[in-house]
Amino acid sequence: MQIAVIGAGPGGYVAAIKAAQLGASVTIVEDTEVGGTCLNRGCIPTKALIASAEALEKARNIHDFGIELNGNVIPDIQKILERKNRIVSIQVKGIRGLFKSWGIKILEGKGFIAGPKKIKVTLRDGGTEEVEADKVIIATGSRPAQIPTFPFDGEKILSSDDALNLNNIPESLLIVGAGVIGCEFAFIYRGFGSEVTMVEMMPRAVSTEDEEISAILEKELKKKKIKLMTDIKVEKIEMKENSVLAFLSDGKTIEAEKVLVSIGRALNSKNIGLENIGVKTGQRGEIIVNNKMETNVDGVYAVGDVTGGIMLAHVASKEGIIAAENALGGNAVINYDVVPAAIFTNPEIASVGLREKQAMERGYKIRVGRFQFRALGKAHAMGEISGLIKIIADEQSDRILGTHIIGPHASDLIHEAALAIEKGLTARDVAHTIHAHPTLSEGIMEAAEDVHNLAIHVPKK
Amino acid sequence: MNPEDLKYHKEHTWVRVSGNRATVGITNFAQESLGDIVYIDLPELEDTVEANTELTEIESTKTTSSVISPISGIVTEVNEDLAESPEIINEDPYGKGWIAVLEVRDNSELDNLMDASEYEKYLEEEAKLK
Repeated sequence: MQIAVIGAGPGGYVAAIKAAQLGASVTIVEDTEVGGTCLNRGCIPTKALIASAEALEKARNIHDFGIELNGNVIPDIQKILERKNRIVSIQVKGIRGLFKSWGIKILEGKGFIAGPKKIKVTLRDGGTEEVEADKVIIATGSRPAQIPTFPFDGEKILSSDDALNLNNIPESLLIVGAGVIGCEFAFIYRGFGSEVTMVEMMPRAVSTEDEEISAILEKELKKKKIKLMTDIKVEKIEMKENSVLAFLSDGKTIEAEKVLVSIGRALNSKNIGLENIGVKTGQRGEIIVNNKMETNVDGVYAVGDVTGGIMLAHVASKEGIIAAENALGGNAVINYDVVPAAIFTNPEIASVGLREKQAMERGYKIRVGRFQFRALGKAHAMGEISGLIKIIADEQSDRILGTHIIGPHASDLIHEAALAIEKGLTARDVAHTIHAHPTLSEGIMEAAEDVHNLAIHVPKK
Repeated sequence: MNPEDLKYHKEHTWVRVSGNRATVGITNFAQESLGDIVYIDLPELEDTVEANTELTEIESTKTTSSVISPISGIVTEVNEDLAESPEIINEDPYGKGWIAVLEVRDNSELDNLMDASEYEKYLEEEAKLK
């Protein structure tokens, strides 16, 4: 069986490896670099920058840990970018190594569906190559969406791609959109010393999260002196000699050295030849797939951002596995009920399952357990006491419906809740499991106890 | 020990009114229950606040808690010193630890509040209930 995968991001490369594991002969086409947005322009490079920003912050506050530093703490942006690039290249090599070990052929260039079972690749170093495949998996991903009236220029109007490679730390940065990407960059550049202002159209930051979590994040933004303006649009940007002037929908203006536009992602479904075989797309250009990741065309699958679903790397990877299995005669279906998500703000945010409002809208009678990190000895020892763990359980069955965390290591803590929800466990199940002391995970146990007002480290209510 | 010239709200806040200026803070009992205060989210100037609703949030090493406004009004001043040194509230809850000044529309709301001796009785009863 010949399988061609277009796009080597977390959807495509995982699909390629899975298909090879199942015995297919696999060719993968990538026009930038293996690892896709996640590894080269998203998840990983931002985490590298966040680690530098947090190290800087810790150094600035090192006094709190009983340590005196003689001398200045100065970020060297060139070295920070070099470190980030090194981390990315290690991961890129890792994926290339995996491809090699599974005998997966990489074609570096732009893939185009020329006809049924036929992919034409315009190679990066000149020339073209045609690939014949029995099955095709499309994983072309997405790119930063821009605002037509002030498109990216890479100099003063930045995309998230540009914001990963600024050679100078801007004195001031305006961020349009206080979603996941905007908020992560707000903490990064504030950490490096920029004055940061975020303007958000919606009434709150990270508006896809539980409202209580947004409120706590907004307070943390304030503590870091990151300015957030909500319910406001940027209507126009005027270019000045060394800055930009943004005109807001409330009549005010903001001047900043640079502006980062992080309003969402546009789908890469154009100019890849979908029309040549009649693959159906929706209104936003998303490739329409069923729960087996099949498109309307027999033998053609699509996974990841280009399908317009949940735009998370780990979702794309899971979809890639499902597509590969089905391409090789399987009958796997995707299930999005339990998808943990993480936002690497400071503190981190993570969530899985239903939000409080969502659970009520679905007609559940719920009980909510809450536990604050500041009630944990470990959080105090670490010097990171801000945050909350919130567990939403069904009143009748006591099953956990959702968990929302803002606090240190939220992105790691969330998986206990993900497993609990996946397996239908109750708040009592989690509460009755011994958790090691002293850990942040104790907070999960306490929040689960608090569902029944029985948390040990919460005063009587 | 709770000053005689203040009025008290059952959510452990106080108000000192002079003309249409109402200075608001948390009580000694509140600061003791909270423990070491590490952060207060200062209210926004010009915000309108209703009595019995959240004026702002306060964080101690133990917990985070709402500060309930004892009176309605518009925020005209906030205690900026608390931004850098929130522990002032622990040290001097009725003096330097004031939180905000509100411009008050309706002084009659004061009638719903307790005076110092009533507040002390209230604290004793609360303690018995626990």
